Amino acid sequence: MTDSDDGPVADGAAPAPDGAGVAEAVPAAASGADAAGDAATPIISGRDVVKEYVTGGETVRALRGIDFRVDPGEFVAIVGPSGSGKSTLLNMLGLLDVPTSGVVELEGVDVETFDDTEQTRKRKDTIGFVFQSFHLIPTLTAVENVEVPRLLDRTPKRTREVATDLLERMGLGDRLGHYPEELSGGQKQRVAIARALVNEPRLLLADEPTGNLDRDTGDQILAEFDAITDEGVAVVTVTHDDYVAQFADRVVNLIDGTVREDAEAVTG
Amino acid sequence: MTPLERLWGSFPAFLMARRNVVRAKTRSALAVAVILIGVVAIGAIGAGGVAFQESQFETLGTIGADVQVFAGEDNENGYLTATDVGTIDRVSGTAEIVPLKQENADVIEDGSTAGSATLYGVDEPTELYEVDEGSIPANWRNGVLVGSTLADRYDLRPGSKVTLSRTTIEDGEAVRRTDEYRVKAVLAQAGQADIANPNEAFVLPTREFDDDVFAQVIVRADDATTANETAMAIKRTFNGRRQLVGVFERGDVAEQIDEAFRLINLFLVGIGAISLVVAGVSIANVMLMAAIERREEIGVLRAVGYEKVDIVRIMLAEATLLGAIGSLLGGAVTLAIVAVINDALLGAPFAYSAAALQYVVGGMVFGVVASLLAGIYPAWRAARERPVEALRG
Repeated sequence: MTDSDDGPVADGAAPAPDGAGVAEAVPAAASGADAAGDAATPIISGRDVVKEYVTGGETVRALRGIDFRVDPGEFVAIVGPSGSGKSTLLNMLGLLDVPTSGVVELEGVDVETFDDTEQTRKRKDTIGFVFQSFHLIPTLTAVENVEVPRLLDRTPKRTREVATDLLERMGLGDRLGHYPEELSGGQKQRVAIARALVNEPRLLLADEPTGNLDRDTGDQILAEFDAITDEGVAVVTVTHDDYVAQFADRVVNLIDGTVREDAEAVTG
Repeated sequence: MTPLERLWGSFPAFLMARRNVVRAKTRSALAVAVILIGVVAIGAIGAGGVAFQESQFETLGTIGADVQVFAGEDNENGYLTATDVGTIDRVSGTAEIVPLKQENADVIEDGSTAGSATLYGVDEPTELYEVDEGSIPANWRNGVLVGSTLADRYDLRPGSKVTLSRTTIEDGEAVRRTDEYRVKAVLAQAGQADIANPNEAFVLPTREFDDDVFAQVIVRADDATTANETAMAIKRTFNGRRQLVGVFERGDVAEQIDEAFRLINLFLVGIGAISLVVAGVSIANVMLMAAIERREEIGVLRAVGYEKVDIVRIMLAEATLLGAIGSLLGGAVTLAIVAVINDALLGAPFAYSAAALQYVVGGMVFGVVASLLAGIYPAWRAARERPVEALRG
């Protein structure tokens, strides 16, 4: 179970109605942050978000009533013990999943109001995904993989230009025609990032972006994220890697489906 | 970006479909192979059947819209008289009529009987027969025309002489008469169903026969409808309570034979179609495996903004592509096989008839459609999965 936290401005989780456990965890975080909250419209925010799964007849509470918000241009790292539901939160941020209760708003609009088609369209327009283990399509070349989110737009020339630019920016200008199996892990990850950026998203979600990479390659990736945030794109990453967490503007520590604002407990 | 790449870019679903087809080469090849076999089964059986039918008609000869009129069971004469012929001519309107006389004769060689043959008597043999050797004189009053089989048997050529012996009625008495004739022409081989088949016959001018005795009258109608009307008119005119003439519409027979061939062909093609249904099942299987195998990949596509219908389109494009490749190859193989069949049955490898090509094209279309249909369920299954489930692996 996971909880996330919002930006600089954050708010702690609302202790509210749900469970006693939640109530305990959240208040500490909530206190300090309130003041700044009004600054900008968040890309995505959640209030009292609960997510429950039923597996094997048992109800598992992955998120226990958390609040979060992500503002443009910030780099947020979500950390927490393995299997704590960090991915559940990431899916929620990516509109791949909807909360059991509570409200998630994408740029001020409740995601519950979207049907499947609208959700898909919002994902395409607003959100870029960098998946764990890249998930490149093996039959497509590097540049075609980057083009994938725009392929159906039927603007092949423009799409090719954008994709080529992005790969050149990632230092892969000489790898455009290579297939994923011909690329190293770091190169694949950079292709995956380029793919996530091809639709000029306002929110980039990255699941363990440095997971299988050496430190140098990891540094390149982080530098890239830094550059993206400078352009006003919010980056949210789930990671086990302290190094990534230290790099982030803000760390959200998820434990037992609730948010702990004290980053140090996790990273340090 | 090359023009070709831009073209593919305009059909993104086919770009992915094409790559996916190439990805699992063996599996795609097998799927293509079953479609190919199905298309060949339909095309080759159908087109081969048509060629067989044509070859059979070549043997049978043309069965036109002719009406044959002959003495009916209540006709006391047992033959048609000149008056009858006149009446038939009148009733038939503008249609041409060919009165035909017929007798049996023995062929005499060196004073003894060498065999028997049919004698036909007609005034305008060019109406009925084609000439192989020699020619029919414009005003044909004497000399004999020889059927091809007899010509071979008795070694007769234009200019040869042949002696025929037969029984005729003269002044009410049966008389045996033996005459020698000069061969004017050898007739071309005729089909088995041709009227007054001359292969085993001699053809003489009618003046060599009794005046008033006709075996049958052939009415040459333009088409089956006219033939039918004429036949009805003749029956009305002659047959009251008693059946004085028999009327035989050859068009009916032609239709029956056509229908029989058509049904047999349809049955065989139906068997061929089963193999294409099996091919469709195999495509469904391949696509289902692909859908399961590419679960995560499809999840990624859904996550980055592909709608369900986009996924369906990509999967269907792939199934259709497999079907199209199989059908094109199948069509080519079918044409080759039909060429062999044509060569064997018709003696001309490229004698593709329109009907035969219809079967080939029909088989190909069926191949593509079957593949498309087979792709629907797997595509729907792939598309309906929630991306979050698919990505979880």
